[in-house]
Amino acid sequence: MIGLGILFVFVFIALAAPLLADIRELNPVFARAQGNPQWAPPSEFPPLGTDYIRRSVWAQFVWGSRVSLFVGLAATVLTIFIGSVIGIVSGYIGGKTDGGLMRVSEWFLVIPFLPLAIVLASILGRSIWNIIFVIGVTSWPSTARLVRAQVLTVKQRLFVDRARSLGGTGWHIVSRHILPNVSGLILANATLAVPISILTETTLSFLGLGDPSSASWGKTLEEAFVNGAMIRNAWWYFLPAGIGILVVVLAFTLIGRTLEEIANPRLSRER
Amino acid sequence: MGRKALGSLLTFIFVLVFNFFLFRIVQKDPIGSLFRGRNVPQQTIDNLRTAFGLDEPIFTQFFYYVRESLQGNLGISYQSRQPVWDEIVAAIPETVILVGVSAILSALIGTVLGIVAAWRRNTWKDHGITAGTMVFYSMPDFWLGMLLLVGFAVVFPIFPVGGFATAGSSAAGLDRLLDQLNHLVLPALTLTLAYLGEYALIMRSSLLDVMGEDYLTVARAKGLRDRIVRRRHAVPNALLPVVTLTAINFGFVLSGAIAVEAVYSWPGLGKATADAIRGPDLPMLQGLFLLFSAAVIVFNLIADVTYAYLDPRVDH
Amino acid sequence: MSDALLSVRDLHVTYHTKGGPVPAVRGVSFDLEKGGSLGLAGESGSGKSTLAGSILRLLPYGTDIEGQVVLDGRDVLSLNPGGLRAVRWTAGAIVFQGALHALNPVLTVGDQISEPMLVHKTVRTEKQARSRTVSLLGRVGLPDNRADSYPHQLSGGQRQRVLIAMALACDPLLLIADEPTTALDLMVQAQVLALLADLKREHDLTLVFITHDLSVLTYACKRLAVMYAGRIVEEGPSWEVFEDASHPYTRGLAAAFPTIGDLSSRLAPSGLGGDPPTPANLPVGCPFHPRCPLAQDACMTAEPGLRPSGTERRAACILV
Repeated sequence: MIGLGILFVFVFIALAAPLLADIRELNPVFARAQGNPQWAPPSEFPPLGTDYIRRSVWAQFVWGSRVSLFVGLAATVLTIFIGSVIGIVSGYIGGKTDGGLMRVSEWFLVIPFLPLAIVLASILGRSIWNIIFVIGVTSWPSTARLVRAQVLTVKQRLFVDRARSLGGTGWHIVSRHILPNVSGLILANATLAVPISILTETTLSFLGLGDPSSASWGKTLEEAFVNGAMIRNAWWYFLPAGIGILVVVLAFTLIGRTLEEIANPRLSRER
Repeated sequence: MGRKALGSLLTFIFVLVFNFFLFRIVQKDPIGSLFRGRNVPQQTIDNLRTAFGLDEPIFTQFFYYVRESLQGNLGISYQSRQPVWDEIVAAIPETVILVGVSAILSALIGTVLGIVAAWRRNTWKDHGITAGTMVFYSMPDFWLGMLLLVGFAVVFPIFPVGGFATAGSSAAGLDRLLDQLNHLVLPALTLTLAYLGEYALIMRSSLLDVMGEDYLTVARAKGLRDRIVRRRHAVPNALLPVVTLTAINFGFVLSGAIAVEAVYSWPGLGKATADAIRGPDLPMLQGLFLLFSAAVIVFNLIADVTYAYLDPRVDH
Repeated sequence: MSDALLSVRDLHVTYHTKGGPVPAVRGVSFDLEKGGSLGLAGESGSGKSTLAGSILRLLPYGTDIEGQVVLDGRDVLSLNPGGLRAVRWTAGAIVFQGALHALNPVLTVGDQISEPMLVHKTVRTEKQARSRTVSLLGRVGLPDNRADSYPHQLSGGQRQRVLIAMALACDPLLLIADEPTTALDLMVQAQVLALLADLKREHDLTLVFITHDLSVLTYACKRLAVMYAGRIVEEGPSWEVFEDASHPYTRGLAAAFPTIGDLSSRLAPSGLGGDPPTPANLPVGCPFHPRCPLAQDACMTAEPGLRPSGTERRAACILV
């Protein structure tokens, strides 16, 4: 519940960005022209001070929320989509296809996630869409596994056989019977996957693989670090972005866990 | 047992293949990249190309790659012009120290916290531990590092700002060791706090699963004290999945420390990776990736074997 | 009665769940003399397992227990934790249902049997514990080498025997057997029952036998008490109660569980339709009236108490 509330706040901030902060503030040339001071603490330059090239930190926070949330959600959508399709296909068709696909997912699970993401990002270049692609392509195995397990459970239930004997086609069975039973789990999994996507994007940006033209929270942290914000104790520069990430991730995690309990009552016990 | 080892080997081979082809796609002209910006006669470049076998069919190149890799020749770093192998080997000990200490600490502390949280379910202790560890787990690990750095090295200059040892210091023996320990504190603290949560959570849910089992009631019926029931009956059963997790995590934490090492300029594999990214120093990245994957594969195997050994229900 | 080993007076047990308080036992009283045997019959939800658990105070934390349970002269419900631990397994022990879950999967069977001996110091060294364990295993019909086996390596019948051996580890006065033969096939059931009868004789045990199968109780116990919705609804000598029940529920229950070994009687239809009520939602009046073939108007308003229905027999029905 708290999670939903927090999420609302941030989605609002992200969507209302143009109202809350002027996007031109992100442009260093503009900032200089404005006569902004450098490295100014919030006391000097409300609400959140300025950075090393005179840009408003508040503007970066507000506009960064858009990028971080967008990348997190888009990457998750990709992950879930790939994972669900593979999971459903694998579970429904079974046999060699299943074995093969599961082998592939096993390999992916073994390969360390971050290095793989780094390697792919280094090769593909620095853009938002590449980041989304990279995260999506490296995170699907766990979703696929979950979905496949659920599909297998559903498949065993009588009514699928009944539908088949009634002459239902494969697609009909999938959409009418399997999907409804699996979608709850997928939703819960998706909500829990968003934090991973956001944190991965943040880390990738921090390491310099982020899109140079966009200002995600991760990028803010990278710039802060690289330009010595810590030595100067310019806390106003690196605290907000981090807190933003922390809170959003917490929100999604809380919501996700609740959804998980609903989708899988076996998980919530009261002893 | 043999089957598992074979499976691991297969996975490693897959990694080799994957690694090779992935980088081949990008490294269209490795020799050219190596001498980027330098004035080298075309003839030299062509000669080198032949020497490196780059004008041969791609499968031959793959064969060379595997052969060279297995002999420890992973190419030359773009940035340092030194052999990749040497750079990597030099960085391994530092990372092992950092990751090893952090992994052990977070496993120990996390497990204990998980036990407390489960045994005192739904009390303030439980909620506090669960909430606290969730918060730490939800923040970017390097950001936590930044906070600790500012807090304890800048604002309260108790600890050094980074690096492995004080630069230019000629201290030796015990002094040197203490100096290194001093430098280890903050990065290790960062990683420990960041990974604490996972252990606590898994131990907690594992113990909660066990707590519903009948054999605990039986143990109490026999007249055992609560503490003994927990120690002798509940925890050993709950520990099984945690042990597996710990072993697996060792493999992954190796690569998870990348960003934190960058923050503290800790001269290990992570920093090497971070530096290599800025190039991009593709041979370095390729070599590092191979190493990270190998580590995960090895530790997964260790985890499997350990679990089989500990759980009497698995026949070995 | 002063020579009763176990004396239960007006026992009320209420669980506290998320859905509210659930009364599992609603006023049960009985006495059991030393050397006697009492069978407790009833369907699931009748409160019989709760009753068994409350004798040694093994119920979940936060459960309300009121009344009196006196075992070997001690009031179990008012003992401090130390006293309670001392009483457990030495004065009274439980043989649980033999599912794999009653035994710790990571300890050997022998270790689990020896454990209470060492805790209560009924033996002085580990060696003594080991030799006593081996002899107990032999007594229940298991070979010596089984002491080093793990629970998953044994069959269901073997595990049940282990549980019996374990219960006898500290030579208890009272043995409570909670559904020891359920989930075992017929052949093994008979063996386990015979074993329990022998052990009872040898060790002069006082036995409380809990099950939902009435016919088993007639063989194993002298007296029988039938539970329904948290109360005893009939009580008396086991054969009499089984052959000529006073309470309609007992009649139905008896018909549902024919005599052991008599395969033909298994085909006769049971007299009981419907399901037992959930403890949280008991009907007004006599809790059995919705399923009772002899129900009358008066049954829906007031819950009948136990009244005499023969020599040393009682039943809770207005038709008695």
